[in-house]
Formats: sequence, C-alpha cells, structure tokens
Amino acid sequence: MTISIIRSALMASAVVLAAGPVLAEDITITVWAGGSNESDSYRLEAIEMAADMLSRESAIAGQELNITVEKKLDFGDWPEFKQAVTLAAEAGTAPNIVVTSHLDIAPWSEAGYIVPVEDYLDLDSWPLNNIYDNLMAVAAFDDVQWGLPQDAESRPFFFWKETMRGIGYSDAEIAALPAKVEAGEYTLENVLADAKKAVEAGLVEEGYGFYPRVSNGPDYAQFYQSFGGELQDPETGKLVLDKTAMEAMYQFFVDAVAAGVTRKNHIGTDWSQWYNEVANGKAAMWHGGTWHYGRYTKTEGNTDFFGTIEFSLIPAGNANGRANTITHPLVYLVTNQETDRAEEIASQLIKIASEPRINSLHAIKSAHLGIAKEQSNIELYANDRWASMATERLLGAANAQPNHVQYGAFSEALWKGLEASWTGIKTPAEAIAEVEAELKATLGDEVIIR
Amino acid sequence: MRHNFRTWPLLLILSLVSLPLIIMYVFQVVDSFTAPKPGSLIPGAVTFENFRFLWETPDPGRSSIWQVTFNTFVFATSVAVIITSISMTAAYALSRLNFPARGFFLGGLIVLHGFPTVTLIIAIFLILQFLGLYDSLFGVILVKSALELPFGIWIMKGFYDTVPWEIEMAGVQDGASRFTVWRRLVLPQVQPGLSALFVLAFLLGWSEFVLPLVLAPGSDAQVLSTYLAALIADDSKLDFSLYKAVGMFYALPVIFIYLVFQKKLMNIYGGGTKG
Amino acid sequence: MKRINWLGLGLLAPAFCIVIFFFLAPVILTGFFAFTNMSTSTGVTGGEYVLNQTGLRAIEDKGLPEATLKQLKNAGYRVDAKGLAAMAEQFGENAAAEFAELHGDALFTSRRDMERALKDLRANQIRSTRDRKAAAELFKRSVLNERFATEDEFRAVLIEANINPADHDAIVMQAYSGWVWTKENIELIFTLPSSLRYAMNTLMYVGLTLSFNVLFGLFLAISIFYLPPRTSAIFSTIWFLPRVLPPVLYVLMWKWFTWDTGFIATTLSWVGVAPKNWMLDTSTHAWVVIVLINGFVGASLGMILFSSAIKAIPTSMLHASEVDGASRIQQARYIILPQLRWPILFVTSYQTLSLLTSFEYILLSTDGGPGRATEVWSLAAFHTALNNYGGNLQYGLGAAFAMLLVIIGIIASLTYLRFFNFREMIAKPRIEG
Repeated sequence: MTISIIRSALMASAVVLAAGPVLAEDITITVWAGGSNESDSYRLEAIEMAADMLSRESAIAGQELNITVEKKLDFGDWPEFKQAVTLAAEAGTAPNIVVTSHLDIAPWSEAGYIVPVEDYLDLDSWPLNNIYDNLMAVAAFDDVQWGLPQDAESRPFFFWKETMRGIGYSDAEIAALPAKVEAGEYTLENVLADAKKAVEAGLVEEGYGFYPRVSNGPDYAQFYQSFGGELQDPETGKLVLDKTAMEAMYQFFVDAVAAGVTRKNHIGTDWSQWYNEVANGKAAMWHGGTWHYGRYTKTEGNTDFFGTIEFSLIPAGNANGRANTITHPLVYLVTNQETDRAEEIASQLIKIASEPRINSLHAIKSAHLGIAKEQSNIELYANDRWASMATERLLGAANAQPNHVQYGAFSEALWKGLEASWTGIKTPAEAIAEVEAELKATLGDEVIIR
Repeated sequence: MRHNFRTWPLLLILSLVSLPLIIMYVFQVVDSFTAPKPGSLIPGAVTFENFRFLWETPDPGRSSIWQVTFNTFVFATSVAVIITSISMTAAYALSRLNFPARGFFLGGLIVLHGFPTVTLIIAIFLILQFLGLYDSLFGVILVKSALELPFGIWIMKGFYDTVPWEIEMAGVQDGASRFTVWRRLVLPQVQPGLSALFVLAFLLGWSEFVLPLVLAPGSDAQVLSTYLAALIADDSKLDFSLYKAVGMFYALPVIFIYLVFQKKLMNIYGGGTKG
Repeated sequence: MKRINWLGLGLLAPAFCIVIFFFLAPVILTGFFAFTNMSTSTGVTGGEYVLNQTGLRAIEDKGLPEATLKQLKNAGYRVDAKGLAAMAEQFGENAAAEFAELHGDALFTSRRDMERALKDLRANQIRSTRDRKAAAELFKRSVLNERFATEDEFRAVLIEANINPADHDAIVMQAYSGWVWTKENIELIFTLPSSLRYAMNTLMYVGLTLSFNVLFGLFLAISIFYLPPRTSAIFSTIWFLPRVLPPVLYVLMWKWFTWDTGFIATTLSWVGVAPKNWMLDTSTHAWVVIVLINGFVGASLGMILFSSAIKAIPTSMLHASEVDGASRIQQARYIILPQLRWPILFVTSYQTLSLLTSFEYILLSTDGGPGRATEVWSLAAFHTALNNYGGNLQYGLGAAFAMLLVIIGIIASLTYLRFFNFREMIAKPRIEG
C-alpha cells in the first residue's frame, strides 16, 4: 500500500466527517473458500456473522453500513479453486476475501493479488493479540502480515487399536505408543513391520496395512522430515532438497508396496471410500488430519473414536529424522480491490471473524484446532475432548511449510517423484535424479540441493 | 442379397462388444430411480429420493440447480444461434461468391477446422479479461461459438455446395441482387442444414465442460457440466445414485434431441466430421 | 475479367471478426507467452516494483555491496525532522511536538514497533487505527515492501534514500515483479525428462486410440451393413450415444463401471477376485480405460463415415460376388475395404489432429494418473498453466507446451490441405466467373 492511497483515504474520511450525517453505504463482500465442504461452512458463515456485527457497530457510531455477503465453496478441488482465484484476480474480479492455504501468500502477494491486513488492522488489538504467535507467523511472509489464520490443525498418524491388539500389543502398550513415537523409539520401520504382521495375520486385507493419503498434500512433507529432510534453510530462506532424506522417503513407500502393506495403485483412491475404510478399521495404520475426527465420528459412523483409534505424531523414519507433524492452517486473505474501502471492510470482517467465540464454532464443527489462546475459556471448545487432546499431543511438535514463492513448484516436483516411484514407473534413485534436474531447471538459485 | 449369410454369429459378437455400453446405460437409468445398495448390483426399491437436488440444495454454498439449468440453457441456445447465423452467411460467401483472397479464407478455414482449440485457453483467458468478459456467461458463449465456428461454416458450406447453380442463375437473370437471391432462393434450400447445425451447436454448448470450468468459475455463470463435476469431486460423500440422477436430469434434453433429430445428426456428423 | 462480389466480404465479416478475436489472436498470443516467464507470482498484466526480503536476499547473492544492503535493510522508520514536520501538518503541531519529545530521533525496524510508539501519545492521542497507520507511514524511510507502480517512482525513492546510484539498476531489476522475455521455457521443455515422457504418452495415446477408432469403426460399419435394418438401428444408437452424451456424464458412467465399488469389481467379487479400481490400478489399466473411453466416442465417427461409403458401393458388385460364393469375410476384404480407402485416410488424418490436442476425457477420468502414466502433452500444458495442487500456475511454460502443439497442428493441417485436393474445393463460383 502506498502512502498516497492511505493519505487520500484519510482525507476522504476527513471530508466525510466534515459533511456531517452520511448516506447509507451498501457494500457487497464476496468470500470464497477452497477445499471446503459442508462441515467447514463456518469459514464463510463467520464472515456473515462478522458483517452483522460490523453493521451494528457502525450503526451505533452513527453510520449506516449494509453489508451483503456472497459465499461460494463448491469448487471442484484445490487446483480448480486456486485457478479460479488466480484468474479472477488477474481479471480484477477477485472475491474480497479468500480462505486458502497459507502457502498461497508468497506467490499471491508477489503478484499483487492480495493486500497486507496489517495495512488496515492494529495487530496489537483484540482479538488479534490473542492469536497464537506461531500461527500469525504462518500468515506472514517477508515480515509482512498478509493474512490472518483461519484455523489450525495438524496431521497425526493413526493406529486401529483392535488390529494392534491382534498383532500382540497390550492395551497399555498401545496407550504408550504416542510417547514412544515422540521419543523416536517407534519408527517407520516398526510401522512397516507391524503393518506386515497385520496383513499376514489376515486382520486387514493386503494393501491395507499402511494406508496413506491418496493425493498430494502437506502430509508427504512430513515423511520427508521423518527421514531428516529439511524444507527451508533457516539462514538463507531458500528451499532445500535433501537427496538422501528424499530418496529414503521414496524408498519407504516402495518398500511398503513391496511388502504388500500399501497398494501400488493407492494414489487416486476415492476420498469418500478412503474415509469410510479407515474410520471403520479396514486399515491397520494410516495418517490424516485432526479434522478427520469429525469425519470419522459423524459421516462415517464411528461412534467410539477414542476406543478404536490411537493417534500420534508421524514417526521418525531413521536416526537422521524426527517424529513430527505439519500444521497447515488455512488463512483469511484480503484481495486487492479497486476501492480501498472494500479492502478496509474486508479486513474488519476477518478481524471480527477471528473472535474466539466465532472461531470456536468452526473449530468444533469441523474438528479443527483453535487459533486463539482464549478459546480454552470458551466452553464449547474447552469441553471438546478431541480439541484439547490433539492440541496437547501434537501442536507442540508441529511446524508449518515455508511460505516461499516457489514452494508450490517445489512440492509439485517432489510429489511427481514420489508418484513415479510409488507406482513403480521409476526407481527412487531415478526419480530423485529427475526431481533434481527439474528443480535445478525451474528453481535455479532458490533451491539448495544436498 | 444377404440371404446367403447367417447373421447370428455377427449379432453375437456385436452384442458382446456392446455389452459394456449397454450395462452403463441400463444402470445409469436404473440407479437414478432406485435406492442405493452398495456392493450389490441388484437395485433397491424404486425411489425419487435421488432427485431431491431438484427441490433442495444439497449443501449450503452450492448453487440452485434451476439457476444452473437456466444458465446452461442460455449458454447452449446462444451458442447455437451465434454459430448458425454466422455460419449461414459466411459459408454462403465461401461457397458461392467471388471476392478477394477467397482461396486464403478457404484454406484458413480448413486449417482452423482441425485445429487445437483448448490449448489456447490461457491466451483466450487474457483476451476475455481485456474485454472485461472474464467470469461471465457471455464471454464463454463468445469463445465457444468462435471455437466451433470453423466447424459450423465447414458444414454449412457443404450444404450450400449441393444447391444447384441453376436456381441462382435463374434468380440473377430475373434481375434480383445476389443478396436477394441468397435470401429468397438459396436459404430455403439449405433450411434442413441450418436446423441440423442449430441442433448440433446446441448439443455442443450443452455438453461443454472445460471452457466454463476455466473461464467462468464464479457461481453466477455455473453450468450443469461444472455443477455435476463439482458434485463428483466433493469428497464428503460418494453417492453414485445422486450423480446419476443429476446426470439423468442433465442428459434429458440430449436424449430428447437425439430421438427427434437422430437422422439429421448422423448425417451432419458424417458430412462435418467432428472427431 | 472476373467480377468481384463485395457482398462476399460483407457476409464473411462477422465470422471473420469473431474468429480473429477468439481464435487467431489467442494463437498469436500463445506464441508470445511461450517466450515469457509468466506465472502466478509475476502476474499476467505487467508488474510493479517492490523490494521484499526475498528480493533483498537474491541481490545479496548476486553481489550487492554490503553498504547498500545495510542501508536498504536498516532504514526502517525514523522519527526525523522531515517526518515530524509532516506529522505537524496532518495531526497538529502539538501532536508532533509531543511525539518528538517521546521518541525524537528514534529508529524503529518494524512497522509494528513504530505503531506502538505512536500509541505512547497521551495528550494528543491518535485514536483511529487508520490514522495511526497513516501517521506511521510519515516516518517510513525504508523502501522495503512498498509497491511502486512505475520504475520512475521507484528510482526516485532510491535516490531519496541515498542509495549508491551504481546499485540502482540491479535493485530495480530485482524489484520488478512482472514478467520478462525469456527463451528458457523452450530450453526447459527440451531438457526436462518429464516432457519426453509426455511426448511418448501422447504418441501412445494417439496411436492406440486411432487404431481402435479406425478398426472398430470399420467393424461396426461392416456389421451394421450386414444386419437387418431394425437391429442395425439399435446398434448404431448404442454406439452413437457416447458422442452426443455430455463428457462429464459419459465419464461418470465409466467411473461407476470401473470403480473399486463399481460394476467390474462387484461382478468379479462373485468369483473371488478382490475388488480394485479397474481404472487406476496400474498404468496398463489406465491406458486400456483411456483408449476405450476415447475409442468408444471416436468409433462412431468411423462408423458413420464408413457406413455411408459402404452404402455407395453398387449392390451389383456384392450380388456378383455372392453368386461366386464369396464368404462374408472375403466380401469385406476384397470389395468393401478397397472402397473405403479414402474415408479411412480421412478419419486417420482428421482424428490424429484432434486426439493430439484433446484432453477433456483424460482430465475427467484419470487426470493423468496413476503416477503421470497417462499424462499427455496437452494435459501437461493444461496442468502446468492452469491446474495444479500448489496453485503455481506457470502460464509461460504452459504456453510453450501449447505452442509446440499449435505448430504441429498448423503443419499437419497444411499437409492435409495439399493432400486432400484443395483445388477442387475452391472451384470458382460460376456466376462471377
């Protein structure tokens, strides 16, 4: 935001004040949410609630402000959503507010599609000063606060308790698993061995010993970290391709296929089918996200989540790596609009939507984690067993993926490599060579290859 | 003349290879009207429950089916009108009139006719944006019409080519202008071609998927193809019966048109050859 | 001398305009884009000038002098005379005086600290957030994270900030956020191992689907010819429908047919085969399904064209052969096939081109999977430029992919043009002639 715009806005408001009572102001705020379905409806409805609140506040301040909120969440999938937002922004018809991955901040800010919320909001004021600092950091890029975190989550590893019992674990041992994982005593090697036992004992079908995510996603960066990989070099801020870690990670999935515990054709499995299977014990071990709790217990009919499922961090892969989990918060971003006023109101709306009470509605309905400290004092949130357990067990060890302009290309390349080795089209070594060539060519100096 | 041959072996082979399609059609219809029974092929009880999307919106945030249907109808009709009316004039010029660079235009038409179209979508986006037509139904209509236009002209030219010269000669000798001759004498001759092209262009518009997907992602301009695709992509439920019911609704006009215009369509595909 | 009819141009004009705008212009633009580095982060419509941490790091790597770097990094917000004067003008002498007393000559590295400092005002509080932010801007001396619309504006600020003029060019170049011309896309396509794979996939896709279309179209046409009219009408409907049904619905039917819980899996589970996804199980499955999905659509074209060609064969020839005792296969081989040479050639050349560039059915069914095994060239162009999980849309690279297809398309069309007797088509109009 240039000085001149702020200055003219300032003058405009001075003129308004001088002119005395003002006419009613009507404004339409469009909000689009990606990767969302019905249970995430509060991503949009929170904005509606905030609009109501802001109108009331304005009315008391003597200004009539009518805000119409237009919502859209039925985008096919993430790629379609991002394509839609990007092209709309290019065409100057971007929605005022978007709910999207924090990874979009870097490219979208570079392209000028979004404006920093810090141009409009006092970050030291309520409720922003109550949001966890690390989450605020995730919504910032290059020291500028571009957006506000919309929710938090992390991506745990799950065990089906009955199957674990079937291969010889006692209840106490199962309960101790999360701690053993965290300490690095239970690793992905154990995962393979146990999954194999479960398949061989006939407790789960072949290919269901370890049942990973079916498409590209931050989850796979976790496995890279499990083998000691690092995503970003803390000193230079460049992306890092650790070839040893990456190859070990690819190899892990190849081994899982070879051992018959993971299906070779697993990628591309239908999500609905996948959810249904893991929620009802068809898989021995798998990984997912904290929001899966809501899905398993509501849609998929698993009424005894805590009695049937144990969860932990993603285990370490080998001695180089660590047990970890990635948090991938969605963020509210305000897009660049023709009038400063629209940006200002959009910023106010996302601020109000970040109220702990409003955010708790989303957190509990969609089984995400809260964004603000005070949410532990909201009964709805505090009484939720899953939210409190998941926060305690996972969030401490959680890190986020780096906000970097080229991270999308980086992650896409890593996934291509994994896909090729997993499906047996290439060996891990060949896949790594191709990934290296591709990253060198497309990212150039912005990636460090080790 | 075919009495020498027994037809049943041929019939058998043909039925066998057609079996997948027949199964798909049959279950498409049956599943949309019966209760879903996962893991079984025997249909459940007859129900209209799968069609509930017609009177209630499946999820908040999804557009109403009637708005979407209306959009699709406007889209398909406009495409048909534009393609038919423009092809009607342009094809006549190419077929019958002598004007500068006619050969060039004809050659260009043939090059465009068999041309990669969807690969141009990035550039098309930019042009729409430049014209302020991005994310509007009108923009997609123009693009779809433009991309199918060479095909339309090609077909119409084929129809004009079959009109006997004598009709025009006679008209010109009676002192009518070329324009009048075209309007009064030639157009009635190609009327079957025009209606066939109209129907075909309507179908092309009705089925189009990639263009609205990329060029009109907002909710205002959604059409049935993107609606159905978004429904299928939504991972919160896998409900083939619902998809099939929506598909049934989507396909109704197509089937109707097919039944009525079957001959015409086959004919035009044969002449126009759209792969 | 031929008469020229200007009406022709008039009648052609609407078509000409619309084709120019939405067809030729995109072709030309695609050619231009292919030589740019356009992507999500550069935007399409031209750039602005903004220097952020990332940019700073990049020019540091390129050897920007330490002094300049420090200057850029540490400018921050300074409560200096110039800022205070501006503040006095906008917020009153008193506010400026009080602020000078509180934080005169202070240097704040971050905007947040600057705003906090402004909150220290007691007698002359700035209450509204907007106003406070505006006040903070008055003291901003850093050029970081600020967007400038033009190069001149940006250079002016660099001069004002006393940056060594020798370094301006490097800084300006780095700060430009828009796209630039480059030849890298083409080079990239020829060096990336993945593009070779896409090319091979495309060859395989076109080759297999085309063979299926022609052979199966022939089979259909000949069988339909020999069947009684009523029966043949049923079969031609069955095989014509895939062409008229909307692709989304048609592919949905295939999904249902091949899904883990779909028809094939359920039927085979009766004989003890474990259910699996028959579309995406291995790359072979995916290829078979892709070829069938496209082939079932394409075969009808062959069916229609070949049927009408067969009907044109004089029945006397067939009668004669029957009298000679020719079997049906012999009849097809020696009488029908030779008559179909031209239609076959036409279908082949026509469909080569359209298959080369079509990706709709693949996008809807396998989306290039599993493991990019069915990612064809045109789909790769689409994914690169418009549709991927990272949301990293590389328009430039995608356009380069598309451009190669466009070139192939033009060359192929021109070749066909020679081949299929263009002269005959442009037979001179008789009235003017």
